[in-house]
Amino acid sequence: MEDNHFSIQINGKEFPATEGQTILQVAKSQNYEIPSICYHPDLGTIQTCDTCFVQVEGELVRACSTKATPGMQVDSLSKTVKDAQYEAMSRILKNHELYCTVCDNNNGNCVVHNTAEYLEIEHQKYKFEAKPYPPDNSHPFYRYEPDQCILCGRCVEACQDLQVNETLTIDWEREAPRVIWDNDVPIDESSCVSCGHCVTVCPCNALMEKSMLGEAGYLTGIPANMLGPMIDLTKEVEPGYKEIFAISEMEAAMRKARIKRTKTVCTYCGVGCSFEVWTKGREILKIEPSEEAPVNGISTCVKGKWGWDFVNSDKRLTKPLIRKGEEFVEATWEEALKLIAEKLTGIKEEHGAHSIGYIASSKCSNEENYLFQKFARSIMGTNNVDNCSRYCQSPATAGLLRTVGIGGDAGTIKDIAASELVMIIGANPAESHPVLATRIKRSHKLHGQKLMVVDLRKNELAERADLHVHPKPGSDLILLSAVTKYILDQGWEDKTFLEKRVNGLEEYRSSLNKFTLEYAEEKTGLSKETLIQMATMIHEAKSVCALWAMGVTQHMGATDTSTAISNLLLVTGNYGRTGTGAYPLRGHNNVQGACDFGTMPAWFPGYEPVQDKAVRERYEKAWGVKLPEEPGLDNHQMVEGIHKGKLKALYLFGEDMSLVDSNSNFVDDGFEKLEFFVVQDIFFSKTAQFADVVLPAAPSLEKDGTFVNTERRIQRFYKVLEPLGQSKPDWEIFQELANLMGANWNYTHPGEIMKEAASLAKFFAGVSYDRLEGWNSQLWPVAADGTDSPLLYKERFAFPDGKAKLVAVEWTKPFKPGEEFDLHLNNGRLLEHFHEGNMTYRSEGLTHKVPHPWVEVSPELARERELEDGALVGLTSPYGHVEVRVIVTDRVKGNELYLTMNTSEDIEAVNKLTSSYHDIITHTPAYKEMDVRMEVLETSGEPPLPKVNHRFGNRIPQISVRVEAKWKRDDFTPIEELIRGDEHGESNQAN
Amino acid sequence: MAKAIRQIKKEGRTREEEQAEAVAGIVRELADNSEAILTMISIVKNLHEMGALDTLSALIEKRNDVGVIAIQQINKPEMHKTIKNGINAFNFLGTIHPDQLKTMLSGMSKGLERAADSAEKEETPSLWQLGKSMRTPETRATMAMMMEFLQGMGEGINEVPRHNK
Repeated sequence: MEDNHFSIQINGKEFPATEGQTILQVAKSQNYEIPSICYHPDLGTIQTCDTCFVQVEGELVRACSTKATPGMQVDSLSKTVKDAQYEAMSRILKNHELYCTVCDNNNGNCVVHNTAEYLEIEHQKYKFEAKPYPPDNSHPFYRYEPDQCILCGRCVEACQDLQVNETLTIDWEREAPRVIWDNDVPIDESSCVSCGHCVTVCPCNALMEKSMLGEAGYLTGIPANMLGPMIDLTKEVEPGYKEIFAISEMEAAMRKARIKRTKTVCTYCGVGCSFEVWTKGREILKIEPSEEAPVNGISTCVKGKWGWDFVNSDKRLTKPLIRKGEEFVEATWEEALKLIAEKLTGIKEEHGAHSIGYIASSKCSNEENYLFQKFARSIMGTNNVDNCSRYCQSPATAGLLRTVGIGGDAGTIKDIAASELVMIIGANPAESHPVLATRIKRSHKLHGQKLMVVDLRKNELAERADLHVHPKPGSDLILLSAVTKYILDQGWEDKTFLEKRVNGLEEYRSSLNKFTLEYAEEKTGLSKETLIQMATMIHEAKSVCALWAMGVTQHMGATDTSTAISNLLLVTGNYGRTGTGAYPLRGHNNVQGACDFGTMPAWFPGYEPVQDKAVRERYEKAWGVKLPEEPGLDNHQMVEGIHKGKLKALYLFGEDMSLVDSNSNFVDDGFEKLEFFVVQDIFFSKTAQFADVVLPAAPSLEKDGTFVNTERRIQRFYKVLEPLGQSKPDWEIFQELANLMGANWNYTHPGEIMKEAASLAKFFAGVSYDRLEGWNSQLWPVAADGTDSPLLYKERFAFPDGKAKLVAVEWTKPFKPGEEFDLHLNNGRLLEHFHEGNMTYRSEGLTHKVPHPWVEVSPELARERELEDGALVGLTSPYGHVEVRVIVTDRVKGNELYLTMNTSEDIEAVNKLTSSYHDIITHTPAYKEMDVRMEVLETSGEPPLPKVNHRFGNRIPQISVRVEAKWKRDDFTPIEELIRGDEHGESNQAN
Repeated sequence: MAKAIRQIKKEGRTREEEQAEAVAGIVRELADNSEAILTMISIVKNLHEMGALDTLSALIEKRNDVGVIAIQQINKPEMHKTIKNGINAFNFLGTIHPDQLKTMLSGMSKGLERAADSAEKEETPSLWQLGKSMRTPETRATMAMMMEFLQGMGEGINEVPRHNK
């Protein structure tokens, strides 16, 4: 046995323990019941509920805060212990009225109910006392009912130290303590980001999803004038709580008959949160996260927790549409698919297989992407297939393929949490990858992790960072190279690592000659001291993770900048160990998977080149066809191809390309020139307006499948609802169309498609639906025996000799449209909406929080141009013009603007302004390289962001719930004193 | 050349067609479950003849008003006692061992027989006669049992926590 393993005795029984574990953790790890309410495995010890008292060597101690020591004897059953637990539970019930059968939280998982029942509480020692506060129903998604609140502080702990939004506290100083938001403002007006953590961890019904109220139970819809007397009656006649519990348990069991709980994977970003969806018919009652979820545990963000109303929107496409003259006409599936088959066949015969392009979706499943590329390659005979990673992460993938050999995150979210220094370059995880950001914020707040942010904007993580650097736009490569050079010049590189595991050091070292501190100072606008500080922080950290996103990849030199990041990590030996590595943060739920499963013009699934004869033959044999040998067109080349008259038809699914591709006017002109255009989506998108045939697809909640998150983690999602109307899962549509065109596919379930992909692509050899059952997941590469790879490069890099490569890179000067365009235009996503908002604007609550896009203007520029919140400005670039309202904020500086992208309206859409310039290697558009000129159209107006938005809130940071303040109250008597002093004295306590 | 258009003509099915499809679905289900449906119809017919459906319909229509009145009637001290006694009595039955109860009840039944007989006799026995009958093994057995019962009852009374009395 290792040193840190030992055993303790609980009630005379032997329990193995590990150093650092508390008594409660030891018991829980072996499913031994010691009661507890405030303890939650994802939150840790809070010490407010006191129900976990046990006796150790005659002393009453809390099991949640007492560390196990070798040979410890714990008693959790004696009369003294029972008396202490009874006292604690009685204090809780003074704050909480038990009306379980008519409570919406009575679903078998109510912690207060279950603990009271376990403790065999028969009668209430202290009478229930209502608190002098009305319920807070101001927030669109959840309510707080102080009368039911037991003041356990789980919600506060979750808000302060897990989500780390620092909105909730308990005010222990007032006569009747309660949870407050900010400085005690209505929830809706606070800094609350609506992530839902507090509601999820609430052990009773004090914090509840509004969608559950009156809906979950059989009797909970009872009007208040009947409910009140009913509760009184129950309490009057109750012979003891046992009978109430018996009835409430029966009722909870009955609820299971009509409330369906289905595991799904979120589709709002690349983090890959999984949780259960609770539904009653087609109605979504709530999203219920679980500690078992491998990435997020109980964490969610506002979109994942609340943003699913779109599924039942009456704007959903439910029937195929065919363009006839100036309008779309509803059609049957038979008509629509027959027309597509005829048109595609005709165009192929007339203009050749390569005159048709296929654009896949990073929002759809691996199986659907696999089938789509199979359709394009094997039925239609072309490699013209791409997905929207082309708009975001292709340069990161390319940069990593060059240097370390695998185009994915080097480790997992656990490595990011464990790192000593997290370096974020051109990314805004707090809004774009909210749950991943919580792990950084938690490590930074509680565990001494250092945080460095390189960004134009002072986003939330920049605000929290130990160092926020603001370089000139587009100068990251110089900054990174100069820091790397300085590290090498100081001899701070990891010499052993470089010698044993990396090729090309000397060549790379000499390529850095030009990147002196002086040169970097001139080009980046940062001082030498700042650059040295960055180098020193990296040098002093024993482990470094580098995270980046669109701020790096949407530039002309994007692949090279991504390469420079990887070079820096290699030079400092930050690969292959816990807490290290490169993390390009994937923006969509399945950007990684769409690429992994082959919707790329040059790659088969698993990144095997189409030009490789042996690989091609493997697929030819499996599919029984001859396959095209040359790589096809990517998205960007397809649009060019249309303009050149070479590409005649396009089949696109799950992508609003008209809004999300850069230089929209150019793209839209292209769409108008197409001979035939098929768009498959869940909504009638902007892109669909150009289509000849529109096919109604089913979203993730209406089908089975798998996604790959940013960590390379493959996770299953299950069908929650039947497809709405006549809509169909995308894979079924592809199969029907393929069969109409002569294929003989017989997939009856996506699991069979995955089986085929796993049999062909080495990376996924051991992937199977059985191994992915429930909360299980696999991180590719997966060996045939199912062994997966959470942390890459532990022993070798993915090159034949196992060694990484340092690759010399040059700076590409960013695009500048000209002197007359005097303001830099930055742009991106925001927390509350997904992209253009096709899905999230269907939620009333989300729209209430953020109804419009806006442009952020710095206080300096606002003064100069005499602008205030709500002013309307016109922004003009050489490519187009938009009109949006202003928010003045110091998140942006000087002449830099930031335009959010949550709109489907042409006149507000940022991509009317962006150009077709692109990364020189991967063709990812340089969305982040544009200047505009601004004219003031209206000097004042209604601000585009309402005051009920979290951005106007006032955070109250503190560690945990400050239980010491509770203990200091005059009316608090420690239970251990009470029980020791007087076996059954009455006490007068806070709760 | 395909310009962006937003106009969608909802041809598809008319309201009549939708209705016809819904009706067809209902008829299909009726045919598949004819036996159950016919039984249900006869039940409904009887309920209707009884006038029960009218009552029920009124009750459902006015469920909130009726519910409030009912709950107000029930939520009164006397009803509290009735319900509580009912539950207590129910719990009491659950604590008794069936064999013991059986012995007791068969004894009681014999006792009742004799008691009824004695009530029919015209003359009341003298104290001497009563004293004599005390000596019979049957009476002594009962007396002993009664003493034990009293003893146990006393224990039970003392066991109930003070705050519950």
